[in-house]
Amino acid sequence: MKHVFTFDPDRCCACSACMIACTDQNDINLKAGEKCFRKTYDTEVAFKEGGIYCAYLSTACMHCEDAPCIAACPVGCISKDADTGFTIYDNTNCVGCKSCAMACPFGAPRYNTEDGKMVKCDGCYIRIKNGMKPACVRACSFGALDCLTEEEYRNSGSDKACNVLIDQANLRKKEALGRWR
Amino acid sequence: MNKIAIIGFGAAGYCAAAEARKWDPDALIDVYTDAGRGPYNPMLTTYYVKGAIDYEAMFPFGSLDEIEERLGLCIHRNTAVTGLDAETKTICLPDGTKAAYDNILISTGASAFVPPIQGGDLPGVFKMRTAEDGVYLKKLLDGGKIRSGLVVGASWVGIKVVEDLVEQGVDCTLVDGADWAFSIAAFRQTAQRVHRDLEKKGIKLAFGQMLSHIEQEEDGRITAVMKNGRRFTADIIAICIGVRPNVAFLKDSGIAVNRGVLVDERMGTNLPGIYGAGDCCEAYEIQSGERKNIGLWFNARKQGEVAGANMAGKRKAFGGNALLNLAHYLDYDFISIGDVASCRDEDQVYEYEDDRYYIRAVRGEKLKCINMIGTGESNGVVKSLFIKYFENNQAEMDMASICHLKENGFPDSFIDFIGRDQH
Ligand SMILES: Cc1cc2nc3c(=O)[nH]c(=O)nc-3n(C[C@H](O)[C@H](O)[C@H](O)COP(=O)(O)OP(=O)(O)OC[C@H]3O[C@@H](n4cnc5c(N)ncnc54)[C@H](O)[C@@H]3O)c2cc1C
Ligand code: SF4
Repeated sequence: MKHVFTFDPDRCCACSACMIACTDQNDINLKAGEKCFRKTYDTEVAFKEGGIYCAYLSTACMHCEDAPCIAACPVGCISKDADTGFTIYDNTNCVGCKSCAMACPFGAPRYNTEDGKMVKCDGCYIRIKNGMKPACVRACSFGALDCLTEEEYRNSGSDKACNVLIDQANLRKKEALGRWR
Repeated sequence: MNKIAIIGFGAAGYCAAAEARKWDPDALIDVYTDAGRGPYNPMLTTYYVKGAIDYEAMFPFGSLDEIEERLGLCIHRNTAVTGLDAETKTICLPDGTKAAYDNILISTGASAFVPPIQGGDLPGVFKMRTAEDGVYLKKLLDGGKIRSGLVVGASWVGIKVVEDLVEQGVDCTLVDGADWAFSIAAFRQTAQRVHRDLEKKGIKLAFGQMLSHIEQEEDGRITAVMKNGRRFTADIIAICIGVRPNVAFLKDSGIAVNRGVLVDERMGTNLPGIYGAGDCCEAYEIQSGERKNIGLWFNARKQGEVAGANMAGKRKAFGGNALLNLAHYLDYDFISIGDVASCRDEDQVYEYEDDRYYIRAVRGEKLKCINMIGTGESNGVVKSLFIKYFENNQAEMDMASICHLKENGFPDSFIDFIGRDQH
């Protein structure tokens, strides 16, 4: 069953519980300089016309429907899990070329410090297949992050699906047709 | 029944076949390939040479037999198409026969360009494009007898050959006819930093060197002689001075060809039912609004997909096509986004440097070109902002991108510079 991550920025206070859960779940060695797949932001953004916006965000791979990293990878490391629809990977043949990072509008791919191979958020698809929620979702006590089946998402009437962000990044704009002859 | 022919079976041809099959289960899909092996990825050759991947990994879609079965294709092996009659949608085969189709895709890719110079065919002179080129260089290097190598062409291919040589401990010299490395995409200031880093790694550099010919030395080595008389002697010489789209067979076909086959957003040529995709074609580029040959693995795959869908009766378009060059070598990465040649003296220049990044960006009314060194993990964020502003200068920069850039050490001044059209 296809799944959708949802994120409600109004409920996020950037407490980073999700990030810690992700670090734990994926055995990320922060001491060795590795980066967590999920990233929280507690960032002040100053506007040119004055005023400051305090951004509280939690981001990871958006699991885009037409994920550009899949076609960008020269060896075919990245694919879609047929079941959950999440963007998963097998980095056996990864050459560390960073073509996936160049394709990703969200900066989601990470690289191992030791062998330079790509690693990324796989949506905890194995947990999902075993009836659990992703680690980050389980750790979020404010209800900002969630992971729903497509059906649950549709019934919820929410517009907070992460892969909807893709439209903001203009990624899918060209699916709708441009200049025709 | 929809009869489809695919000429050339690289990434573009493969993705077209897969997409056409997805939308039209009954179509007859004939594939013509001048090779006897599966579609390979030219950019993996140098990774195979240095042992980062096995031979099989150069073929990310599998063998011809596997693909034929998986997608229900009829693959004509070792069959180079010799001509095309666009009016009758007929292709000409080496044995003199002809075959007619409803839809034809030209996905013949490009070939490494080796000028017809004296000594160009001496043993030890090679290019880097095909799986066979990779096998040739690997054998030479694994033989352990190569002490020195010369790479002609400080291009994206040339730098990867340099990487192979350096990682094998081969003494390496890189020369180019231009005044600096990556001259079609790098500002002089960016290139100075690239040069400094290459020299630190022991690579000798010489620019303004136009290759004249190659001579055999008595001790078995070979010498590249430049037009200015300078001589570079080495055990092996790689010629990496560019590629040429494989379009010669389209002469007199009626198909509009510039450097490559000219296509529209649906990858259609000037003649209905005939499409082009990948390194052999020129698609619309967002910055100039003109058609350009942008040879990238991603483009080949996406353009192939778009052509495949349209040949199967769907309407799909290829967009967001910007000039992009990413060089990742010897733990160094350099990216250029946009057209360096469009920059003028009167344009605004942004420059930033710390111990991690070098950034140089230029804008006229709109952003024109961004060069960045060391920004690998954030390249996609900056690239998509560049494309976003290009297509809509009223677009808002999203908070996630701002946070990502700030968190990853990009200065506010840079975020401000790229988002300047915002209101
Ligand atoms: C060393 C190197 C490094 C690269 N690095 C990168 C990189 O970092 N990032 C990136 O995005 N891209 C890179 N590229 C470019 C990328 O590999 C190509 O853009 C892409 O593979 C093109 O695919 P294609 O299907 O258009 O062409 P090709 O892979 O060239 O396939 C075309 C096929 O058609 C066949 N053919 C030609 N004429 C005929 C005919 N008349 N009849 C039948 N068959 C024919 C050819 O033999 C070939 O097998 C690199 C390329 C090289 C060589
Ligand atoms: S870094 Fe690895 S996963 Fe990413 S595109 Fe290159 S080979 Fe594929």
